[in-house]
Amino acid sequence: MKPNDSSSTGRHKKQLIVICLVLVVIGFGTFIFVLTGRHPERAWQAYLINFLLWSAIAQGGLLFSAIMHIVNARWSAPLSNLAESFTAFFPVSFILFLFLFLGTEHLFPWLHQDLHGKEVWLNIPFLFSRDFIGLFILYGLGFAYLYHALWRKLDRSVSQGKIRKLLYKWWDRSILDSEKCNRRMTVFGILYILAYALILSLIGYDLIMSMDPHWYSTLFGAYTFVKAFYVGLGGLIIFASILHLYPKIEFTLKPSQFHDIGKLFFAFCLVWADFFYVQLIVIWYGNIPEETVYVIERTMAVPWAYLAWFIFIICFIIPFLILLSKKVKTKPRFMSVLCAIVIMGIWLEHLLLLGPALSHQVSSLPLGIADGLMFVGFLALMAMAVTFFLNLFPELLRVKEGDVI
Amino acid sequence: MATEALVMGLFTNENQAVSAVEALADSPWQLRRVHSPIPSHKLSDALNLKQSMVGWYTLAGGITGFFTGFILAVYTAVQWNLIVSGKPIVALVPFFIVGFEFTVLFAIFGNVVGLIHQMQLPGFKGLEQYDPRCSGEHFGILASCSASDLEGLVTFFKTKGGEIRVF
Repeated sequence: MKPNDSSSTGRHKKQLIVICLVLVVIGFGTFIFVLTGRHPERAWQAYLINFLLWSAIAQGGLLFSAIMHIVNARWSAPLSNLAESFTAFFPVSFILFLFLFLGTEHLFPWLHQDLHGKEVWLNIPFLFSRDFIGLFILYGLGFAYLYHALWRKLDRSVSQGKIRKLLYKWWDRSILDSEKCNRRMTVFGILYILAYALILSLIGYDLIMSMDPHWYSTLFGAYTFVKAFYVGLGGLIIFASILHLYPKIEFTLKPSQFHDIGKLFFAFCLVWADFFYVQLIVIWYGNIPEETVYVIERTMAVPWAYLAWFIFIICFIIPFLILLSKKVKTKPRFMSVLCAIVIMGIWLEHLLLLGPALSHQVSSLPLGIADGLMFVGFLALMAMAVTFFLNLFPELLRVKEGDVI
Repeated sequence: MATEALVMGLFTNENQAVSAVEALADSPWQLRRVHSPIPSHKLSDALNLKQSMVGWYTLAGGITGFFTGFILAVYTAVQWNLIVSGKPIVALVPFFIVGFEFTVLFAIFGNVVGLIHQMQLPGFKGLEQYDPRCSGEHFGILASCSASDLEGLVTFFKTKGGEIRVF
C-alpha cells in the first residue's frame, strides 16, 4: 500500500466511524422517540428484532470460521479471518441483551396471563438468568476460540494498542506451540458449535416462541439456529464483497472462493426453507387448534398473510432460482445485493413471528420509518464493532499466497 | 498430401500433463484428445472447454419431475375422493413432498440421459487411439502432426517429461 493510499484509507476509516456514530445516535434517538410515544411496545419490538438479527449474524459468522477450522478447509482462510471479526459484536450484543430487561412489560405478553403451569419456565428472573448464562457461555467460547486463532494469525512484530499488548502478555505467560494451539482451537471450535446450537435454540424458545405462550413447536430451536447461520453467511458475503470491491484495501478473493461461499449460502437457503416446511407440515397434519392458530394468524389473516408470502418469496424463491446459476455466485456485487435482500427478509420474518403477539388486532402492518432508522442504527453498531476489530488487527485482511486455493 | 501421424504423450504427473496441453496450444501440432485417470480441474481449465450441457438436462429433468410428482399425487387423490381428517382432496402442502421427491428422481434421470447423449454413448467401436494405462495412473495427451513432423512432436512430449506412443 502506498503512503498516499494509507493516509486516504485512514481518512475513510475516520469518516466511516463518524457516519456510523451519527447513525447510531439517530437509531437510538428514534428508539427513545417511539418509546415515549403512544406505542412504546413498537420501540421494544424493533429493538428485540434488531437484537436477534444482528446477534445472529455475528454468531453465525463465527460459526463459519469454527466449522472451516474443524473440517481443515483450506479454501476459506481469508473468509474465516473476516468471520472472526464478527466476534467484536459479541460484547455489544451482550449489553443489548441486558437492556432488554428494561422492556419486559412491553416484550412479554404472557407476563400477566394464566400460563397453566408454564410459570415454572416462563418467569422473568429465570428467563433472564438462563439466557444471560447461555449467552455468556456462547460468547465466552467464541472468544476462547478467537484467542487461539489470533495467536496463529497475528504479526508479533507489531506492538500497537493496549489489547494487542495484553494479548502478547497472556501468550508469553502460557506456553503455546503451533500444534497445541491448533488442538485447542479445535476443542473450542467444537464447543462453540455445540453451544451455538443449544443457546440459539434457547434464545429462539425464550425470546421468539414464548411470545405466544400457548403455542409450541419442538423444532423451533433448530429453525432459529439454522436461520442464524443463513444470515451469518449472508453478512459474511456482503462484508467480503465490500472489502473485495474497495480498491484501497488489500483484501481480495478469487471467483472460486466467492463460488464456494455462495454454494454454502445456497445450501442454507434450502435448509432454512426445509426447517420451515417440516414444522408447517406437522402442524398441518395434526390440525390441532392450539397449533394451527399460530400459522393461520400469520399466513392467512390480513395484514400478516401478505408479509408471509413476501418473506417466502424474497428469502427462498428468489434466492433459490437465482443461486442455481454458478456465474451469479462469483459476482460479488450481485451476491451482496441478494444477501442484503435475504437479511431484510429475515428481519421481516422476525416481525412476522413477533408482530401478531406484540401488536394485537392491527389492520395494517406495524412497520414504519422508525423501524428502518432503528435497523440502520444497529447496522452502524455492527459496522463500528467490526471496523474497530480490523483496525486493531489489520493483518487479518492480508491474504497470504498460500491461503488462496 | 502428407499423411497424418498421431502421437500420444503419457504422463504420470498432472502438472506435466497440464503444461504439455498449454504448450500444445501454441505449437503447430493439433491437440486431438486428452485422457485423465481422475477428474482434474487444472486440465479442464487448460483445455478451456465449453461449459457442459449436462446441467441443463438435469434442470429440465428436475422441473419435469416436480410437476409430474405433483400431478401424480393429484391424479391418485381424485381417483378415490376420500376425505381424511377433514383435509381437502387436493391438498397442496403434503403433495409438495411428492413433487420434491420426483424432482430429485427426474433430475437424476435427466443427468444420466444428458451424460449418455453428450458423451455419444454407447460407443461400440471403442477408441482407435487409446492406451489402457490411461485407465490406471497415466494422463494421455493425443496430438496429431504431419508425418514429416513426427520427430518434432515426439521430442516435444519427451521434453515435457512424457512417455511416447505413436499410432
